[in-house]
Amino acid sequence: MAARWSSENVVVEFRDAQATAMSVDCLGQYAVLSGRRFLYVVNLETPSEAPRKISRQSKWDVGTVQWNPHRTEAHLFAASSNQRVDLYAWRNGFGEPHASLQGHTRVISDLDWSWFDPELLVTSSVDTYIYIWDTRDARKPTAALSAVAGASQVKWNKRNHYCLASSHDGDVRIWDKRKPNTAVEYVAAHLSKIHGLDWHPDNEYILATSSQDNSVRPFSNGLVTVMVPQLRRENSLLLWSTLELNSPVHAFVGHDDVVLEFQWRPQKEGSKDCQLVTWSRDQSLRIWRVDPQLQKLCCANDIVDELMEGMNLTGDTEKTLRAQDAEPPLSPGLTENSRDQFEGPGSGLTSGGRNDVSGLPQTLQQEFSLVNLQIRNVNVEMDAVNGSCFVSADCGANRVRLVVKFPAQYPNNAAPSFRFVPPTNISSSMKTKIQKILTDTSLQKVKRNQNCLEPCVRQLVSCLESDMEDGSNPYGLTNPVTPALPTFPRVTNTYGSYQDANIPFPRTSGARFCGTGSLVYFTRPMTMHRTVPTTEPTPRSLSALSAYHSGVLTPMKMRTESQSTLRLYSGSPTRTDKDQVSISSFYYKERKSRRWKGKREGSDYSNRPIKLAGKVIIQEISCLLPVHKALGETYVLNVNDIQDTCKKNGAAALAVGRRDLAKVWALASAATNLDLNPDPDPDAGTPWAKHPFGRQLLETLLEHYSQMSDVQSLAMLCSVFRGHTSPQEYTLYGHQQARPVIFTAHHSRYPSVTSCSLTSGSFSSTSDTAATPWNMVSCARETEHAPPWGESSPDDYRYANQIYTDPREREKEQHDMNKRLLDPSNAFQFDDFKKCYGEILHRWGLKEKRAEVLKFVSCPPEPHKGIEFGVYCCHCRSQARGTQCAVCKRFTFQCAICHVAVRGSSNFCLSCGHGGHTSHMMDWFRSQDVCPTGCGCHCLLQSTF
Amino acid sequence: MVSVINTVDTSHEDMIHDAQMDYYGTRLATCSSDRSVKIFDVKNGGQILVADLRGHEGPVWQVAWAHPMYGNLLASCSYDRKVIIWKEENGTWDKMYEYTGHDSSVNSVCWGPYDFGLILACGSSDGAISVLTCSGDGHWDIKKINNAHTIGCNAVSWAPAVVPGSLIEQPSGQKPNYIKRFVSGGCDNLVKLWKEEDGQWKEDQKLEAHSDWVRDVGWAPSIGLPTSTIASCSQDGRVFIWTCDDPSGNAWTAKLLHKFNDVVWHVSWSITGNILAVSGGDNKVTLWKESVDGQWACISDVNKGQGAASSITDNQQNEQ
Repeated sequence: MAARWSSENVVVEFRDAQATAMSVDCLGQYAVLSGRRFLYVVNLETPSEAPRKISRQSKWDVGTVQWNPHRTEAHLFAASSNQRVDLYAWRNGFGEPHASLQGHTRVISDLDWSWFDPELLVTSSVDTYIYIWDTRDARKPTAALSAVAGASQVKWNKRNHYCLASSHDGDVRIWDKRKPNTAVEYVAAHLSKIHGLDWHPDNEYILATSSQDNSVRPFSNGLVTVMVPQLRRENSLLLWSTLELNSPVHAFVGHDDVVLEFQWRPQKEGSKDCQLVTWSRDQSLRIWRVDPQLQKLCCANDIVDELMEGMNLTGDTEKTLRAQDAEPPLSPGLTENSRDQFEGPGSGLTSGGRNDVSGLPQTLQQEFSLVNLQIRNVNVEMDAVNGSCFVSADCGANRVRLVVKFPAQYPNNAAPSFRFVPPTNISSSMKTKIQKILTDTSLQKVKRNQNCLEPCVRQLVSCLESDMEDGSNPYGLTNPVTPALPTFPRVTNTYGSYQDANIPFPRTSGARFCGTGSLVYFTRPMTMHRTVPTTEPTPRSLSALSAYHSGVLTPMKMRTESQSTLRLYSGSPTRTDKDQVSISSFYYKERKSRRWKGKREGSDYSNRPIKLAGKVIIQEISCLLPVHKALGETYVLNVNDIQDTCKKNGAAALAVGRRDLAKVWALASAATNLDLNPDPDPDAGTPWAKHPFGRQLLETLLEHYSQMSDVQSLAMLCSVFRGHTSPQEYTLYGHQQARPVIFTAHHSRYPSVTSCSLTSGSFSSTSDTAATPWNMVSCARETEHAPPWGESSPDDYRYANQIYTDPREREKEQHDMNKRLLDPSNAFQFDDFKKCYGEILHRWGLKEKRAEVLKFVSCPPEPHKGIEFGVYCCHCRSQARGTQCAVCKRFTFQCAICHVAVRGSSNFCLSCGHGGHTSHMMDWFRSQDVCPTGCGCHCLLQSTF
Repeated sequence: MVSVINTVDTSHEDMIHDAQMDYYGTRLATCSSDRSVKIFDVKNGGQILVADLRGHEGPVWQVAWAHPMYGNLLASCSYDRKVIIWKEENGTWDKMYEYTGHDSSVNSVCWGPYDFGLILACGSSDGAISVLTCSGDGHWDIKKINNAHTIGCNAVSWAPAVVPGSLIEQPSGQKPNYIKRFVSGGCDNLVKLWKEEDGQWKEDQKLEAHSDWVRDVGWAPSIGLPTSTIASCSQDGRVFIWTCDDPSGNAWTAKLLHKFNDVVWHVSWSITGNILAVSGGDNKVTLWKESVDGQWACISDVNKGQGAASSITDNQQNEQ
């Protein structure tokens, strides 16, 4: 824990200031405090003197105030007030407003002067735009960056002219001001809203953020990510060193209320001391001395002088990192508001402090008693009472002594902290690396509420051991600031910052037809109410969620609370008591406000757990479908007695109340009557199929059931009539070749080019052209236009070589076609009916019924291809197909007997994998029963199934 | 009679985003903002938690069951940019494959018809659609359509393997050479049709009618009729039914099913393709059926917000 000593040397109270923001100018001479009625300018040399006042007329509080950081323009400062920025000039003890920048349509959340161009100012607003202003032309911004989501912070890069960063809820976006349309980089930084953001003064690629999730994260090359324990409800500022990210170096204790603002005071040349100016809600301004002793603490390496030099010379080494703490869930009216500051490459500051470890959870004691730490070179002393343990690991010359502190909530999503203590002798880079590994490991575990001590210790040991093996000089890296990469790492494991404007707003209700007769649906529970009135549509993207929240909260807050709290705008109440932001916040919120109402009424709404997931309901909807499972079970398909089949099926249809189907089956029965069986002789008269009650009737029926989507009736009718057509020569697929005569079918969907050359015979169209409307219209039309032989079924395509010389043969074939009640040209469609019905039967679990129907499909199932054995190449052991290896190009296997590569027929034992030329194997096993390689495998026995 | 046969309390810790039953209707998979996917045995009206699959690091948006021909496989997609394929082996569910090829939230997953093998389409907010094909030995072949929808792709749905309008000559007695096709919807307000040609995915059609993000698309199952049908729904509250009678598949006509007052999130076709379930931001589910004269009519209004499922079928209407 940080050493605490009071080192403030000036305390001044401004009781009536009610200031919400403060800024120290770049010369370190003045501080401006912004109240609602006056701006107070305090001379820091003589702070106890009454401050000068600049009166302002506004009903809005000042959101942010900032002096121009350029010495030439040091007399200027900007203050944001609602949608406007006012520029003030301070000269000779008098200040006056000299310009206003107006353009934002919603409240301005932050502003920042450019570090390079004294005229440039950037402002961010809830209205989702970030404007860059040139103060010489106050009429309109010179550039507008469109962020889609409202920004809470904006900061210029201190090294790169064009670069700036903005924070949006939990995300950080990096912009190039030349590309205003879209951010260059998105960084998913925090789980909760970011309150503070600042760039590294010397490194273009490092920035730090602080967030409501109580963590401060410097983003550099991704090496360091640190969780800071609870910061809430503490009035002290913490000084951090970036070298030692798990505990603060120093705490500045003294303020009685939340620290609203803090800033480093630039020093006069020659002064070794560094001063920090803070403003708190206790209405006191304090100036703290950070003496060289303390500075040394921040910079473990000898860069203090460098740092100091840098500060003195440039005068702009200070940078502000703001952190506003969350509203504690139980006191919604009270807002804690504090700021963070980040100093130099060596140290940083965070406001607040850590909660004391109070009440040890049972789980830690349990973990200590159960943990298995029989690990080489490691000794762990556990102290359950204090919630800590001491790990000592010796690995070669490396000695590590580590203090692990477990927070009170551990392991419920609260990771322990790790701190190296003497006599640890590993390098600082190694420390950083181990620190990261341990933090990552512990975070991973505690996220799932699992214990993490043992995995952490094992990680520590393996890390030390691998370092030894590397033989890398642990002292080689003395530079504490690792070289930055030119890109910002995405923290892919961090979610919950729902800023992505192009991710659709999640479904919270849905319905899906499943299986055959079920509708599965879910909705959001009744207890979850929308925050929006139902007249307003649900937002379309996730980012709209946070923007919406701001929209609701802002106007109300502006009236009732100091404007500085506006920076909290997107933090919905739920976010403070849930560690993860969720879509449910959108709905949950209203519930929450009801809870407050309920409190007033004396009921304890708050104690009831709120169910976020509704029930999933499965509904039986098969009555809405045209297919019936009962019919699927009772329908029969007996090709040997079609009449009986029709009768039985008719009865079955009647049983389930399908009277229409009962009649259809009666018709089918009539149409398949044996009396109507076509005569094999073409001269015996027109077959029944050509009768209006023949094919035409059937097609009308099929058309009707197609419209009803009744695939069950369609498939059954098609099967019955296909079976009926030629009972005596009934063929399933595979017997067709045996048929003496091949019919020619119209199948306009499959026109064949080759068939044109088949014959020149004057052959009348087989057109059964009663092309019916339910059939493909285009099909029917083509049938009329195309030459008779211009189309053929795939079947005759296959037999295209046969030339019919005998006209009687042709006539017979034509007759054969005409005999059929089902139009052969639609055979493929009929197959589709059967396949589709087969699939439904399969889902019903009626596999035999399915097989019965599929027997009537003209297109056979794919033949079984057999099993192919994979081969590993005997030379390079890579997997190969065939006899030659694709990798080493050699033949993949050798005969166990002649040791020559096998290219032809081979036999192998499935057990030992040995084998070779078939002939050799046969010879061998004629007399032997063990493997020829001598592996001892009884191949003949092993390979029999 | 339409009746509730089961009510499953999933015990998810956060809101549910999808629920789907397997091929036989015996198991239910759900996914939620609590980052988990749960599988329940829902046979005979019971509910037994079979598996609680943890692996996603963000809210899980959608799940999809594969055809049982390939074993018990479930795909899930999440805000964490991952697609995970889960497999049951010897009664335990495990991660079979994890696909991390997207740069943003993956919003939709859909298995292709079993005739095409084990094939999965994934639509992501990075604008790309990935098609993953299992080569059989556990290796997955990936084809990515970059910039399929500018800003983002919200939904994908495969066409049935039966392609009635196909002009391709298919010799009988052989397995028909189906063309792989699917439909997608995205933030560019477009519905797009994709077709595989020579192993490459090409944009086949672009259907324009919606005035806001397309949230879901559903290609109706085919029962063997020559018409292809697609339903699409959007943030603009409209549901369109797209039909194509043209054998070459080029002439699609749109018909407005209904304009809802709030976003429509999901459309789902019944197995015979004649009923459409529509659900959206108003927390209601409605069923729509095409009448014989081609008009779409609402046949049922399942108001979940009230907890009661009131269903009116044709028969019931007569009785009333």
